[in-house]
Amino acid sequence: MTAVLKAEKLSKWYGNILGISDINLEIASGITGLLGPNGAGKSTFLKIAAGQLKPKLGSLTLFGQPVFGNPDIFRRIGFCPEHDSAYSEMSGWQFILLLARLHGFDRREAGERSEKALLTVGLLESKDRQIKGYSFGMRQRLRLASSILHEPEILMLDEPLRGVDPLWRIKIMQLIKDYGKQGRTVIVSSHILPEIEAMTSEIVLIHQGKIFAKGDIHRIRGLIDSHPHQVSIRCQEPRRLAQELIDCDFVLSMDFGLDGRSLTVKTNQRDLFFTALIRLIAESGVEIEEITSPDDNLQAVFDYLIGK
Amino acid sequence: MNMKKQNALPVIFTSFFQSGFKAKRTRVFILLSLIPVLLMLVMRILEASGSQAPGSSSDFFARVMLSLYFQLLIPVLALFFGSTIVNEELDNKTLVYLTTVPVRRRTVLLGKYLAAFLLAVLLIGCGFLLCFLAASLTRLGDPSAWEELGIFLGTSLLALFCYSALFTALGAFMKKSILIGLFFVFGWESVVQYFPGVTQKFTIIHWIKSLLPVPPGEGGFLIFQLQPSPPLESVLVLLVAGLLFLALAVFIFERKEYILSDNA
Repeated sequence: MTAVLKAEKLSKWYGNILGISDINLEIASGITGLLGPNGAGKSTFLKIAAGQLKPKLGSLTLFGQPVFGNPDIFRRIGFCPEHDSAYSEMSGWQFILLLARLHGFDRREAGERSEKALLTVGLLESKDRQIKGYSFGMRQRLRLASSILHEPEILMLDEPLRGVDPLWRIKIMQLIKDYGKQGRTVIVSSHILPEIEAMTSEIVLIHQGKIFAKGDIHRIRGLIDSHPHQVSIRCQEPRRLAQELIDCDFVLSMDFGLDGRSLTVKTNQRDLFFTALIRLIAESGVEIEEITSPDDNLQAVFDYLIGK
Repeated sequence: MNMKKQNALPVIFTSFFQSGFKAKRTRVFILLSLIPVLLMLVMRILEASGSQAPGSSSDFFARVMLSLYFQLLIPVLALFFGSTIVNEELDNKTLVYLTTVPVRRRTVLLGKYLAAFLLAVLLIGCGFLLCFLAASLTRLGDPSAWEELGIFLGTSLLALFCYSALFTALGAFMKKSILIGLFFVFGWESVVQYFPGVTQKFTIIHWIKSLLPVPPGEGGFLIFQLQPSPPLESVLVLLVAGLLFLALAVFIFERKEYILSDNA
């Protein structure tokens, strides 16, 4: 497939702070998830791709063209920034209509497109309210509307699900998937693995400004699933539960809490462990108060993958 | 898809003129620009009550009003309107919306500049007109009074054009432009204009004062160490300087990379 986005030896830093370093990457049409912990360099990469920042070294091109200072390319790009920003004194309608007009649509078509974009993100009924009266989630959806109103060929979304309620989270994920199915290019960033996993199988892992892995999510997921994983279970009878779990091959070790009401299990096969745990709970009737995973976050995964 | 290459300048101008009109900053400046009008009215009342000599309000207009407008209100208004053209977008992190549309950055800057300039002109123009009416109630039939008003308004237009362009360039260049701008207005402009020799020609206020219809040496605040520059030269200097500042602002804004937040 032809690469829509091409980065070669791309580096960016802010004074002494590294943004991204020596990134070589090609992204073709379809949905690509940009996954990495906070501060990994995802936003820097997207800002360069959206023409907001200049590369310090190397280059990034979209459709073979540089982005910074190239306004014509913005007809083909939709960018949803991470910051919670908008012209708060404007209404949602005024804001979207302004952007539609600036995308070159005449008054009638700008109106139609603004209406469609606001309807898509569920803000049509609130369109005449001032943006400062919107909730965080509504402002996030408004930013999404601003990025899709001109139906761009490349949609770049920086943490688009942040602050969005569960119902709209699902709708936005579906919208992104639909965009991908239309043969467009979507680059979506997140620090939450399941979010990306729900939208695409093609991911780019970014960590400390470098591309750490790229490819099919299932391969990376396999690595994640097999790394030692801790699960804490709070219940009335932790020793009884431990008795049931001790025979399982995928349980590596167990620790009891000092209060006598908790059990921490270390497993190397998380999915198998949870399947077994659910079965045991159902069979033994042990009452579970809480199940938590102390290291169930992307940083832990990255730490594991880089061998920390 | 009806995507024509439309001129985005009127769209940006209209949108930011409307939002600028409703902004809190504009309301503050409306109040500020009414202060000279109130002073003028007080002067008229004093004159009518006999506390002031007849004709003293016209004199007051020529001397104190000019000081308030040309040395204070116009530069300060231009500073706040000009420097916020880019800085406000950075503070509110909204610049991203104007720089990810298929519009040249120069169009964005010029559209916003024109909106800010027109707002400033309306504020100053209305204040001027009200002051003039209050000062010249008894000589409204005198053509020279209207001629004087025309000169004041024309000079204020040039002053706003030049100062706003300077502060727009400053705002495009640096984030803390208000502080530098205040130093320029109350430091450089206030002090250097009284320096002997040609040094005072390096201030904008020198060229503005050269256009004002107050004879040098008469006004306490209008102390010229040199003779004022010829009016035509002053007009040209203000126009050329304004255009150069505006070109500089465009040059900076088109090339500069603006970092909106801590980048991750």
